[in-house]
Amino acid sequence: MSTEKSDALVIRLADFSESSRVVTLFTREQGKVAALAKGAKRLRGPFEAALDLLSFCRVVFIRKSSGGLDLLTEAQLTRRFAPPGRDLNALYGGYYVAELLDGLTEEHDPHPDLFDAALRTLDAIASGSDPRLPILQFELTVLKEVGRLPELDACCACHQPLELGAAARFWVSQGGLICPACSRPEYQHSEIQPGTVALLRALADDDSTLAQRLSITPRQYQELRRTLTSAISHTLERRPKMLALLKF
Amino acid sequence: MARRDFHPEEHPFGPAVGRLVNRLADLPGVGRKSAERLANHLVSCSKREALELADAIRDVKERVHRCQRCFNLTDGELCPICRDSRRDAAVVCVVEQPRDVASLEATGVFQGVYHVLGGRLAPLEGITPGDLTIDSLVERVRNQGVRELVMATNPTLEGDGTALFITNLLEGSGVKITRLARGIATGSVLEFANREMLADALRGRQSF
Repeated sequence: MSTEKSDALVIRLADFSESSRVVTLFTREQGKVAALAKGAKRLRGPFEAALDLLSFCRVVFIRKSSGGLDLLTEAQLTRRFAPPGRDLNALYGGYYVAELLDGLTEEHDPHPDLFDAALRTLDAIASGSDPRLPILQFELTVLKEVGRLPELDACCACHQPLELGAAARFWVSQGGLICPACSRPEYQHSEIQPGTVALLRALADDDSTLAQRLSITPRQYQELRRTLTSAISHTLERRPKMLALLKF
Repeated sequence: MARRDFHPEEHPFGPAVGRLVNRLADLPGVGRKSAERLANHLVSCSKREALELADAIRDVKERVHRCQRCFNLTDGELCPICRDSRRDAAVVCVVEQPRDVASLEATGVFQGVYHVLGGRLAPLEGITPGDLTIDSLVERVRNQGVRELVMATNPTLEGDGTALFITNLLEGSGVKITRLARGIATGSVLEFANREMLADALRGRQSF
């Protein structure tokens, strides 16, 4: 058993007993951690009501060598996720970040860059600006971090580089874009405009300034959404629950 | 040495006591040792005392159900709060669980009536509006002259999200929607209040 300290984001809470909870945390240093928080519902104690969904906390936990649940011993709140005004879509955007972190990462597999990206995304959503772009960018970051980012630079079939300005098709089961020459009517793929391919590359490179400079048309949003929903659902092996509620 | 948990059939006092210990140990907050102590008490107390407990449990399970109006627990058609004509039926306090009604009633401050949602919206756990009594609340507001809704869902992200969902649903209905105040407790010391409580107290400050 070892005591660990880390910055953490609460991504799931489940009641364990009258006052205790099992808390799933996405930590910067340890990745996803499931820990028992004894007395988590009590106002007084080592957690001080810090353990709410999407709260950003500094935590101390005892890691169990037996493979059982870790034991959370302390949590100090840094900040809560507070969606702006009466915006349910922003709240659902926050839930979606939690769903992706929980569904696509493994326990004790750290991804510090993903942790920072999650905080950035939640801050952007909480700021009241349009949540669509930060969420798209976060989806690409998650896919990149877990090694499932679709191939966006070369054709998945012939491996030739895809030229800038050329239309392409997205074939999720082959892992990315294919060029028009390799496309076949029997393949299950969707067409993507050259502008959308450029946007996907910019967002995947975390080039937020470039992405913000580009004006995104409703059609491009639609294509981005369709492509990323397809890639996320393929990796998660189910359609994310929050996509049914989020308005894009 | 680790304590040995008996299989009911192997309990030294016989399988009947073993089964009782197991059932008691299933109750929230009761561990194996407490269950043994309670079982020993029930074995040694008078038959009348033990059977009164059994009858009380049977009564609760057979007679207690949800109030037809507010979904609080009751053994009649309407709960005592909904039946009480001295309560202001135009002011409805919305809570997640019947135990929240008990907590608020213990304050003796609230003179309105309640609406128990039966939980909170948690889309990540698959809990949707259809799983709660939100439709009945909306109908109550629209048809029973409700003047004010006091949102007393838990002050968590999901509790606030549930209150927000209901507020958006009732937009334009003309009902006044308020929520419980947040901040520091009377009798506490500012120096020891946490940052979150102080921030809530500052945001929710009132005129003297």
